[in-house]
Amino acid sequence: MNLFLYLDKNTLVHRLDPLTKILGTLILFLYSLCFNHPLYLCVMSLMILVLAFFSRAMVNLYRFRFVLLLLFLFSTLIWPFFIKGSRLVFSWKGLEVSQESFLYGLAMGLRLSNFVATGLIFLSTTRHEELIHGLIRMKTPYPIAFALSTALRLIPTFVGAGATIIRAQISRGLNLESGSIFGRFRKFIPQAVPLLIYAIRYTNLLAIALESKGFSPEAKRTFYYESHMKRIDYFILLILIGGLLLILYLRIGLSLGAIFPNRV
Amino acid sequence: MGAAVSIQSLTFTYHGMNRPALRNIEGEIEEGKLIAIMGHGGAGKSTLCYCLNGIVPKFFRGNYEGLVLIYGEEVKGKKVSEMSRLVGLVLQDFEAQLFSTNVELEMAFGPENLGLPRSEIEDRIHRYLTLVGLENLRERQPSSLSGGQKQRLAIGSVLAIEPKILVMDEPTTDLDPQGREEVLSIGEHLRGEGRTLILVDHNPEYALRADQLWLMREGEVVAKGLPKEILIETTTLESCGIRPLPTLELFQKMKWQGMPLDAQSAMALIEKHHLIERRKLRSKVLLQEDSGMAPFIRVEGLRYVYPFFHIEALRGIDLSIREGEFIALLGQNGSGKTTLAKHLNGLLKPTLGKVFIKGKSTLEYTRHELASLVGYVFQNPDHQIFCKTVKEEVGFGLKLLGEDPKRINDRVAEALDTVGLGGYEEKNPFTLTKGERQRIAVASVLATRPQVIILDEPTTGLDYHSQRNMMEMLKHLNRKGHTIIIITHSMWVACEYARRVILLKEGSIAADGPTREVFADENLLSQTSLRPPPLVQLSNWLGTKALTVEEMVQELREESECLNL
Repeated sequence: MNLFLYLDKNTLVHRLDPLTKILGTLILFLYSLCFNHPLYLCVMSLMILVLAFFSRAMVNLYRFRFVLLLLFLFSTLIWPFFIKGSRLVFSWKGLEVSQESFLYGLAMGLRLSNFVATGLIFLSTTRHEELIHGLIRMKTPYPIAFALSTALRLIPTFVGAGATIIRAQISRGLNLESGSIFGRFRKFIPQAVPLLIYAIRYTNLLAIALESKGFSPEAKRTFYYESHMKRIDYFILLILIGGLLLILYLRIGLSLGAIFPNRV
Repeated sequence: MGAAVSIQSLTFTYHGMNRPALRNIEGEIEEGKLIAIMGHGGAGKSTLCYCLNGIVPKFFRGNYEGLVLIYGEEVKGKKVSEMSRLVGLVLQDFEAQLFSTNVELEMAFGPENLGLPRSEIEDRIHRYLTLVGLENLRERQPSSLSGGQKQRLAIGSVLAIEPKILVMDEPTTDLDPQGREEVLSIGEHLRGEGRTLILVDHNPEYALRADQLWLMREGEVVAKGLPKEILIETTTLESCGIRPLPTLELFQKMKWQGMPLDAQSAMALIEKHHLIERRKLRSKVLLQEDSGMAPFIRVEGLRYVYPFFHIEALRGIDLSIREGEFIALLGQNGSGKTTLAKHLNGLLKPTLGKVFIKGKSTLEYTRHELASLVGYVFQNPDHQIFCKTVKEEVGFGLKLLGEDPKRINDRVAEALDTVGLGGYEEKNPFTLTKGERQRIAVASVLATRPQVIILDEPTTGLDYHSQRNMMEMLKHLNRKGHTIIIITHSMWVACEYARRVILLKEGSIAADGPTREVFADENLLSQTSLRPPPLVQLSNWLGTKALTVEEMVQELREESECLNL
């Protein structure tokens, strides 16, 4: 079963220099951080969807639709209770939900989903080798860059092993669909212990395999997929930075796009 | 020519262990030779491999005495990355060895570490991908390859470093027969190129091809020499946990002249000395279970499409299984064996068609009910073991069913007795051997007393002794009335133990019948990339009914008695 996120396509986004993609992703995060009005964030979400479409990463957004939806709903439902606004919708025993706090919750939900979706597009279009290469050119030490990208690389492997372990325990009669929260927590142990042991064993073998193939954190190494910043990379970064300046002007200069101007 | 490897009184004890993993190993390996190393589980084969490229003592620490020299240079004190230029290591677990996004990058990783220029890396990728036959899969993700392809890629990626010595630690254990052939033919090719090869393998048929065979037992090398001289010492082999060659065993038991090491030479000897007449395989052997009894499991028009990937894994399966059968599910990797088996205990729900257990659809059962009707033992026991004691582990299913403690104790003791681990209740399952953990997994399924027990690859990764023990135990369970279904790549296991074989090919049933009948059809088997084990090849050629050495000896003796009368 294929659980890896990277989609081997040949789109403009795939061809960009990893450095551009890393910086671009960070700038897109900032875009969503600038506003806390759901309408403005909704525009961002649409932009991200368009980007996903052109980088042919929609498949992965679809695969993660439940996660995205869950994050959105959770945030939308929880936030209103922690923020006070002036136009009350209802109040009950000290719990208050106002129109503003509701909109703010909506905005936070969208923001969270935007973050995740942007990250997914990044991972769908960037190989982890490219990520290492990009990070190193950003002056990250090789061992750290390598550890980071390997961690990302291991997630799908462990998810796969987790699925097998759950199946194994289910066929011994473990019922995961029922029980109280406490009961469910206890059911977590039969899943977690084998997974932990698997992870330790696996990383041990991985380390042996890496060393046997001459991996050494200190040594100078070649990058087979070497990429360089091209004209298109500078152009795209320029547009993204221009966009960021525009957004900052809208938010700070014109005080637009915020339900609570004093909050992030 | 000088020695590529020279080992002098090497003794190694892992940190925190009492017993040394290696004891006083002495040996020399000449450049360009193929050395096979065999031995039981825990004999120290892997540790010896690790000593050659410095994983021991650099990565695994412990008490290290003696010398290991590679081309005259001492391994101890060298970094593994330095050693990797001389000694390449391929591991059994191909999943953990592949970590790149595509085949090309996987190949590039080693040369990248050496800091080679890109044009040189490109050359090497091309050269070694062609050698391992994966040149047309350059862009593929390693995880999407078949088992054999993965292991070939792992070998290629090590070769790209161009080590002078290639060490392969059980490279074929997790592979189906076709994958095994693929990997071993690469070995042959490399040998033709004059590279030094060290191969650890369980299978005596492959050891035959080596220049020298080392037998290991309890950390010691107990025999060293030409394979055809060592492989005839049946008792030494068995004491090292290695399956004796069946053709040899047959000739010894029949007191025939000659020592054939494979089916072909056995046939040649039989013809030459007119030992026995060939004949046509007579009357078809009928299934013993063929009674009017209603089937316990019935599968009707089962189709299964993996969600999201839209791969049709099963394409219309019809099948019925009666109580008390012993079935082997055979087929290549990806032929749908595991997918089919997972439908039988309701882990997967059919896309189309139905699976009935005792006449009721699996969809109408609760998880608990299914778990106590059809037990499923997963391939890797470590995917399910989590308790501190064997007792808790085996009793886990019963506890979930809400049984009272006394009953649980009784059933656990009974299950442990059945798997031959009586008295292990208070032991920590994590400290047991692989074979024992495998039995714990069976016991934990057995404790809930399911009628049917399905086992996915019950013998993979076990040495011959543990394989025999496991299969004898299943035979015993079968005699007690349990229906046993095994998924296996091991042809001799299927031949010796299963009474019925279901052969799958690309999601459909290619053959379903008594074991003898299915294995008589060598054409059909080869279409699914399977081959009968040597003894059955011989049996097919002779036209006998036998599937095991004992059966053949008996059959031939009875016959000669008939003739003498």
